[in-house]
Amino acid sequence: MVRAASALLLVLLLAGWEVYCRVAGVSALVVPLPSAVLRTLWDGLAGGYLLPHLWVTTAEMAMGLAAGCTVGFLAGVLLAEVPVLRRLFYPYILASQVVPKLALGPLFIVWFGFGMTSTVVITALICFFPLLENTMTGLQQVDPNKRELFRMLRATRLQTLLRLKIPSGLPVILAGLRVAVVLALVGAVVGEFIGGRQGLGASIIAAQGMMDSTMMFALFIVITVLGMIVYQAAAGLERWLLRRPWKG
Amino acid sequence: MSFVSIEQAGYGVPSGGTILDRIDWTIGEGEFHALVGRSGCGKTTLLKLVAGLLAPSTGTVRIQGEPVRGPGAQVGFVFQAPTLLEWRTVLDNLLLPVSLTRRPQPADRRKAEELLDLVGLSGLEGRYPSQLSGGQQSRVALARALVTEPPLLLLDEPFAALDAITREELQNDLLKLCARHRTTVLFVTHDIAEAVYLADRVAVMEGGQLRHALPVPLARPRGRDVRYSPRFNALCLELRHAMDGAGSGVALERAS
Ligand SMILES: Nc1ncnc2c1ncn2[C@@H]1O[C@H](COP(=O)(O)OP(=O)(O)O)[C@@H](O)[C@H]1O
Ligand SMILES: [Mg+2]
Repeated sequence: MVRAASALLLVLLLAGWEVYCRVAGVSALVVPLPSAVLRTLWDGLAGGYLLPHLWVTTAEMAMGLAAGCTVGFLAGVLLAEVPVLRRLFYPYILASQVVPKLALGPLFIVWFGFGMTSTVVITALICFFPLLENTMTGLQQVDPNKRELFRMLRATRLQTLLRLKIPSGLPVILAGLRVAVVLALVGAVVGEFIGGRQGLGASIIAAQGMMDSTMMFALFIVITVLGMIVYQAAAGLERWLLRRPWKG
Repeated sequence: MSFVSIEQAGYGVPSGGTILDRIDWTIGEGEFHALVGRSGCGKTTLLKLVAGLLAPSTGTVRIQGEPVRGPGAQVGFVFQAPTLLEWRTVLDNLLLPVSLTRRPQPADRRKAEELLDLVGLSGLEGRYPSQLSGGQQSRVALARALVTEPPLLLLDEPFAALDAITREELQNDLLKLCARHRTTVLFVTHDIAEAVYLADRVAVMEGGQLRHALPVPLARPRGRDVRYSPRFNALCLELRHAMDGAGSGVALERAS
């Protein structure tokens, strides 16, 4: 019911937009017609023009996400487990949180050149922090009674990590993953703005160069849909991993 | 021969407080002792010294003559809260003490199921803790502490959060389970009737010191009749007086 109303709202909005643009004669350079955007989108997908770009962005996002999350998770485990390292690195981690990672893009282009590598690195760097932060928090939030239980049962440090801390911190860690997935798409697209040859972000820049607003809107739609798909996939993974009755 | 002997054991914290002051106590093999006292008098701390979770700052704690140097395999511990792993099934929780040392064998599984049966939870081995009532969770925690058949069981107010009827059922389960292998028990509680019903001997603690010892000469096995016998009530009253005498004159709420 509410879903139907939301869908209707979208249709009304698009219809209003279309009618207004036609009646007022707004230039397609400023705001394109929705019908034109949909046609461009359809041509781009059916004609195969958009597919390689979609593939490149998806691949960059996936690689960046995998690398950033893996390293972020492992670093989080290390810092949570070794207090000395935590005290040593935490001020720097806090400081680096404030650095806008995308602003490092131009530097990465100097280091890694134009193309996929620098975009993957930016994406990985952006995904690294939410995983690091949430893994550290999750592992340190373990119920003290349960720690004492594991101590009483003479569990080794590794057993305590694998069988107590990681499972009990999993909800927090997966919440970090969900944040990372959204950031990964932003990272990949904006990374391509700066240094991409191919991909959806690079295509937006190319369309901008040709003053093709219609194509830019079509690309926005592709990016939004891609974002929704990966977010739903992450949320689904989270639901599946936490399918057992989890508390706290 | 004494199974547990606490010799002049004291415990202090760096902030300057003395939490336990030269405690002397012995528990014979197969005996059931209760430790009573009001909140904050140091019961949990003493139990943790015996468990090896804390090291005494003075004196020693011996189990079977050996000084305790850390948590040992011969000790089972039941915490105040059930402390179950929410992401594991009842059976996995029960087998945790085993699975941390080796891969559980079919024999272990049979033993776990037998224990579940004894505490009235047969058929629930596939459930998760959040699908159990408070009493059922406490039963799982109790069975978990006993799955490795430790000769010494330590319990820290394990039934304090349960309603009166469920608590009585669990007290009976505990007596039944401990009688099977003549487990030596130290049971911490603030409930006078619980201490008298369960124990052979009750220690009264006050301000970090043991002030009184009360033997409970009630025959075993004890059942519902015992709880309402004049003898039982007289012992409760005696214990209550001992606690008042130990206290600074502040009346303690009768806990049952
Ligand atoms: N690590 C600690 N540091 C400082 N004080 C503590 C510590 N642990 C316990 N205490 C204090 O020691 C006293 C006894 O605590 P506890 O053994 O938990 O008492 P009980 O179990 O009888 O309620 C309390 O007053 C408590 O505040
Ligand atoms: Mg206590």
